[in-house]
Amino acid sequence: MFSPNTYQKEIENLDSLIRLKKPIDILQFCADHFHRRLAEERIAYRISQALQSHSQLAMTGTTFTSPFAANSNPFGSDGAKLQTQTGQLLNVVEEDETDAVTSPTTGSFGNGIFRGPFGGGDASLDGPPSSVRTPPNPDSYPAQYNFGRRTSVSAESLKPVADVNDNWSPPSYPKSAEQLERLQKAIEGNFLFSHLDDEQTAQILGALQEKPIPAKDIKVVTQGDAGDYFYVVEKGSFDVYVNESGALQPGPGGLGAKVGSVQAGGSFGELALMYNAPRAATVVSAESACTLWALDRVTFRRILMESTFARRRLYEKFLEEVPLLSSLTPYERSKIADALETQKYPAGTAIIKQGDIGQSFYLVESGEADAFKDGQTESVKHYQKGDFFGELALLNDAPRAASVVSASEIKVATLGKSAFARLLGPVEGIMRRTRYVGVVSGVEDMDPLHAS
Amino acid sequence: MALLRPIFNADMFYQNNVRGSIRVNYAAARHRFMIMAATVASNPGPVPVPVQDPNSVSITAATDTAGGASQQDAHGSEDAGPKVPPQHQRVKLSDFALVRTLGTGTFARVCLVRPAVGSDENKEQVFALKILRKTEVIKLKQIDHVRDERRILSDVAGHPFITRLITTFSDYDSLYMLLDYIPGGELFSYLRRHRRFPEEWAQFYAAEIVLVLEFLHEQQGGVAYRDLKPENLLLDGQGHVKLVDFGFAKRLGSKGDRPVETYTLCGTPEYLAPEVIQNKGHTTAVDWWALGILIYEFLTGYPPFWHQNPIEIYKQIIEKPVLFPQEPPISPNAQHIIRSFCTVDRSRRLGNISGGSQQVKSHPFFHGIDWQALYRRQIRPPIQPNVRHPADAQCFDVYPEDDGKRDPYTESMNSTLLERDGQSILQKTTTVIEGHCVEDMVFSRFSGLDYDGHT
Repeated sequence: MFSPNTYQKEIENLDSLIRLKKPIDILQFCADHFHRRLAEERIAYRISQALQSHSQLAMTGTTFTSPFAANSNPFGSDGAKLQTQTGQLLNVVEEDETDAVTSPTTGSFGNGIFRGPFGGGDASLDGPPSSVRTPPNPDSYPAQYNFGRRTSVSAESLKPVADVNDNWSPPSYPKSAEQLERLQKAIEGNFLFSHLDDEQTAQILGALQEKPIPAKDIKVVTQGDAGDYFYVVEKGSFDVYVNESGALQPGPGGLGAKVGSVQAGGSFGELALMYNAPRAATVVSAESACTLWALDRVTFRRILMESTFARRRLYEKFLEEVPLLSSLTPYERSKIADALETQKYPAGTAIIKQGDIGQSFYLVESGEADAFKDGQTESVKHYQKGDFFGELALLNDAPRAASVVSASEIKVATLGKSAFARLLGPVEGIMRRTRYVGVVSGVEDMDPLHAS
Repeated sequence: MALLRPIFNADMFYQNNVRGSIRVNYAAARHRFMIMAATVASNPGPVPVPVQDPNSVSITAATDTAGGASQQDAHGSEDAGPKVPPQHQRVKLSDFALVRTLGTGTFARVCLVRPAVGSDENKEQVFALKILRKTEVIKLKQIDHVRDERRILSDVAGHPFITRLITTFSDYDSLYMLLDYIPGGELFSYLRRHRRFPEEWAQFYAAEIVLVLEFLHEQQGGVAYRDLKPENLLLDGQGHVKLVDFGFAKRLGSKGDRPVETYTLCGTPEYLAPEVIQNKGHTTAVDWWALGILIYEFLTGYPPFWHQNPIEIYKQIIEKPVLFPQEPPISPNAQHIIRSFCTVDRSRRLGNISGGSQQVKSHPFFHGIDWQALYRRQIRPPIQPNVRHPADAQCFDVYPEDDGKRDPYTESMNSTLLERDGQSILQKTTTVIEGHCVEDMVFSRFSGLDYDGHT
């Protein structure tokens, strides 16, 4: 219905804005202004409708659809991101800031910023989770995206042993072969473990500590608490509860709703291996005599760090020995070390074959290999830890002058020509930096594989 | 300014790293304080009452737990004795009056402040004061980050697109960083308000950030910023970018003269590079990854990888390619540069590969950018912040003011702070049983928490 008062208010509002801003393009300004007003008004209306229907639904007992997507893993720190609809409504009402942006193209959107009560940088580590904001335009925005400010996260800062003269070695708890196999299976699909090499995996498995949970109803992790451990269920089962307030509450029902259970072979709490985020759920033993394996974040991260650090330093040391790369700066060597990939071959594998076009070069990390020429059985060169072969592939496309066959199980670090060129440009350019005399013959001397 | 992270340890900062430029700048600021003090001393008129939100607790009163002195008292005593020669006068909290909070975080808060005393003209001069609670910094094990932040901010002062640190000081339970006030507000606010940016806008902001990254990575000898996101980009009065919050910035270590990658997981979930998530050791390459995410968010209004559950975000980052929506259409050049930055293989990631930032600058996405003019701030920014006067804070969201509630920082923490190296405490924490408070052990980690305010 028509209301002269409403009209008058809008006009006055616009009038004062125009006096304040003195826009150059009056028509554009007015168009933008009303477009924005319309959007604001519609959103406020929609939310109040949603609120009403929500309360009606709640009263009639119909299920209210969660604004969240189905969440398969309750252990993110998101379990508590619920904010009341009322909060949003209030925010929208507050939302009458003038548009501080004077842009000719502001145009059709600009509903203003939706401020949550936690609108600022919320505490990720121990504070309440970010507020959920209504997207300015639900039609073309991802429906559940949280438009609030995102909180930074951080783990404890770790420095490798080599830097701090410490004698750290990873803890190792004895396990039977069966237990190891079960554990291996429990973690192998997990993205935090799937990229680990065999040594790292072995250390991680060794560091898992047995934790008997003797009775039923013992809380293993508590929603809202700091998370330090990741758990694998060895025996028994555990129930998972989420309280919508974001933390376990005192009193009956304080656990919240049961959202799932974890059986033997399952695991929970993986986010704690990354950084200290509040637990998103409470996990309670569902029977007596359960057993868990526990791994804490600092041990996990240190194991990975120490092995990666040691390997990186090893690579860099190896690279220093390669004459072809002697003119690289330490920074460049570090970049190459970054890009090296470890490969393992069983004994008797032809790693490179005579006559093939060389694509990669190899550093021997462990194990031994031999070079053979022209099908002869006599080795022309023997390689062991720290040796390298095939580096001429970085320089040209000449066919390999010999085959290299592993003499034992061998671990090599390898780098392709294209990766090298991407990182540092062509090798020729690198070599030209140095005042080598007779570069070409020098290189030929380095590698018996080079076709002469 | 999402998570306002810590800073402190002025000692180390000043002994090792303060550059001439900071000293000069600070000297100028100190000079102003002296003038104000002198004015008050020679003119014993009414003591100016600090500007204060009636609902808030004054920052002085909130932090001055030792003396229990009110802000007024603190001023009174200071006014009575401005006899210290300028070069020995330390900046302290009571030199400032709180105007309002500009942002909050886990253990830090940034406030707009102005000189507590002096002429009206002096009071027009405003600063951003970042306040860190020692207790929280220790609890959250952010000491190293706090130290790095101050050190690096002082090293990089003077870059046109990086916030300027004026000085640092400390008192009983808090550490303070005095920074230039950047009045235009967070780019984050503008992005959310506009929903998304046209490509020319994205190009402009990305280009200014490229200059910052080039400077940090290549001219500063390997400083990784590690928390690039719209929340950490402010606009100055003209609309140029200012990168703020160096709480995770890290000068890559070196062994001999060789740079060493770093291992601490930090950043913002949506912006983390895969090598950070997988704990592979990371370098400045993480910033180029984040720039790809940032350009994507500029153009679409949301980041390419997101989920309610952070674990799902991390899985996506590691496993999924960046996909572009039908609407809005993203140009081929923009798609290409985003994919080039967001490349899991670091030997293929733009910015990290041969040519470094030069390669980035010559990408077709940046076609038409005059990089020299851009550096000299001669390119007109797309957004002109509506800043009515230098102390105007209307571009910042409103935050509740400090209620003064916090865990006390006690002498026992201070006196047991002698164990400097982090390892011992990290080991101890591993023995802590789930859910138990680790404070006792953590507190034993530090010495030198005093952020002594000398320059």
